[in-house]
Amino acid sequence: MDYQIEVNKNQIDVREGESLLTALTRNGIKVPTLCHMNRFSPTGACRLCVVEVEGRKDLVTSCSSQVEKGMKVSTNSQRVLRARKSLVELLLSNHPDDCLYCVRNGHCELQSLAEEMNIKERKYYGEKNTLYPDYSSPSVARDPAKCVLCSRCVRMCEEVQVVTALDFISRGNQTTVNSAFNKGLNVSTCIHCGQCIQVCPTAALIDISHIEKVQTALGSKDKMVVFHLSPSVGASVAAELKMKSRHLAMQRITYALKRCGASRIFNLGFASDVNILEEASILKARLENEDSVFPLVSSCCPAWVRYAEDHHPEILDQLSPVKSPQQIMGTMAKIFCAEKHDLDRENIFSVSVTPCAGNKYESSREENTHKGVSEIDAVLTVRELFQLLRSFGLDLVQMNEDDLDEPYNEASAVAWKHGYSGGKAEAVAEQLFYLTGNDKKEKFKFNPPKNMTGRRETKLTIGGKQLGFAWVSSISEAEHYLQHLKQEGRDDIHYLEVMACLDGCVGGGGQPVSRGFEMSRARKKVCLEMEKSAGKKYARENSAVNDMFKDGRLKPGNELAETWLKPVFTDRSSD
Amino acid sequence: MEEELGHFFEQFPNKKREDLIPLLQAIQDREGYLSEKIISAVGRYLDISTNKIYGVATFYDNFRFTATGKYHFRVCHGSACHVAGTGMLIRELEKQLKVKEGETDKEGLFSMELVSCIGACGLAPVIEVNDQFYTNVTLDSLKALIESFREKENTAI
Repeated sequence: MDYQIEVNKNQIDVREGESLLTALTRNGIKVPTLCHMNRFSPTGACRLCVVEVEGRKDLVTSCSSQVEKGMKVSTNSQRVLRARKSLVELLLSNHPDDCLYCVRNGHCELQSLAEEMNIKERKYYGEKNTLYPDYSSPSVARDPAKCVLCSRCVRMCEEVQVVTALDFISRGNQTTVNSAFNKGLNVSTCIHCGQCIQVCPTAALIDISHIEKVQTALGSKDKMVVFHLSPSVGASVAAELKMKSRHLAMQRITYALKRCGASRIFNLGFASDVNILEEASILKARLENEDSVFPLVSSCCPAWVRYAEDHHPEILDQLSPVKSPQQIMGTMAKIFCAEKHDLDRENIFSVSVTPCAGNKYESSREENTHKGVSEIDAVLTVRELFQLLRSFGLDLVQMNEDDLDEPYNEASAVAWKHGYSGGKAEAVAEQLFYLTGNDKKEKFKFNPPKNMTGRRETKLTIGGKQLGFAWVSSISEAEHYLQHLKQEGRDDIHYLEVMACLDGCVGGGGQPVSRGFEMSRARKKVCLEMEKSAGKKYARENSAVNDMFKDGRLKPGNELAETWLKPVFTDRSSD
Repeated sequence: MEEELGHFFEQFPNKKREDLIPLLQAIQDREGYLSEKIISAVGRYLDISTNKIYGVATFYDNFRFTATGKYHFRVCHGSACHVAGTGMLIRELEKQLKVKEGETDKEGLFSMELVSCIGACGLAPVIEVNDQFYTNVTLDSLKALIESFREKENTAI
């Protein structure tokens, strides 16, 4: 700490050059704000963080003002409180006020601000806007009428994901956040990462809900409903509920879903194991082939795949030709359940529960439906999982536990690595190390990512060759890294893991909405703990995976593998 | 589209972000408006998202996104013209031409746009049609003007 300033007649410690808001928050002084996001530059758009500084005529926005020596600040003078209240009242003046029917009811930032400011009546009557909601996208629904123009989604879409599918259109009181030409998100540059839903303070950006679909299937007599639980969901629930016995999160969800009427609950981590094994084999094959172009780029993130299809058709051949865990899981479950229970594939309703908004888009991709039967019929985000359970009157805080169903009940430690940035690169490197048959004296060592943001790379000697492994999270990182590789003409990176969301799936677009990035750290912590306590360390030890390959029907290159397990990448750059 | 816009692009070889507005202005000067295809092509050339360009362009009143009519009415609604009765003229135009501000009629004959001060306040109210200025416009003279355009079109057929 560099010096002290006076806030509300008390002294607080501050660092030179930091913003007033940061200093206040760190010292436990709550200042409301709608537009501020950690890791982003301040905009001062919402003006809710105003404070009174002695010697200044006007109120100042604490997010965009630096601390200064000798500053005397008041964060709750009458003038400040009045100004904030008026600001919220004005935001409410044209708000639809349909809180009862709103998905964000109870966890809406505008709603809680109105409550905090003690707003008990409508003071200003603004003209209600007549903007129509947009349900055209398979993953993200927009309701511009509920937008408060805080610009959080716009900055996320532009600064982190560099696609600018959402931007401010028009000016003044006509301003809206919209997609190009005011057309639907489905024809925009949207990559379906769902990060905009994560940062939206109201319900202007929400999931395309699959809850009713799932409820209908659960209630139908001739449907067999199969759930696939992603390990990241377990981590997310454990972190959200601050569970002490974290390893039981998956079992609790399993018990709850069975109470809802689900027939089978599988572990999506099984498919993560398959995905890792396949990807390592492909990398090995490409290393043996002299003509191969490197790096091999991961393709398990649907938002990244969509971005590559839109903007980098030249690297589609470098994307690893393995389907994502979700689609592998859907395929295997439909084959397995249909055979075991002598059912038609149409009568199996396959639901994946993931921390990803992009999975909704992915499940709707053309190649993932075969003759009218989709590999995955519905995708629930973690938010929707909670909602579904609530609608059945179930609370995960008080819940028994039940085991996941065979044969896809187990996942190795590697499956948890899928959840955070850098984990997959490590897992692929380890498997490659194993495949190249290094003698046992040598131990596999990988420098784990220390800092969660930014690009990371590491060099390993595997099979007498020095190989480069890199991992990036967020599209801006990916774009910069690809450009860097190209400009420097580097050929020393052999594997690149790309996750479209910051920090990887732990910061996924389908996670419970949380301001800032503290929660993704908590989720990653759970993932790391689970990894340590996992019974099986490596994907190759997963008995279901071994059975699948032993079974003999699924072999690299055979019909089943070609039609059901191969992804299709389409050049969409001309659209 | 890239080929048609080629000579505009040649004027901005550096492909800088700050080239965006001058480029859009140059294109609109010739094309009359910015179509979706034009915006997409500019986006590809400057490597800027289509929506970013659309956002920038909608911020400024000068950019149009629909083609103008054969007779493009630019009605001044600066203070002097407003006081002299532009409001009445706008309502009359809306009624007669069946277009609102920024719109073009179905036949592509008439379009209307409101502009800020043209700089001829002494002659208010002022209306400009296809670079021709009409001053001290009254309801009657406006009706006569529209009628003259219609007649011209009828005789042309």
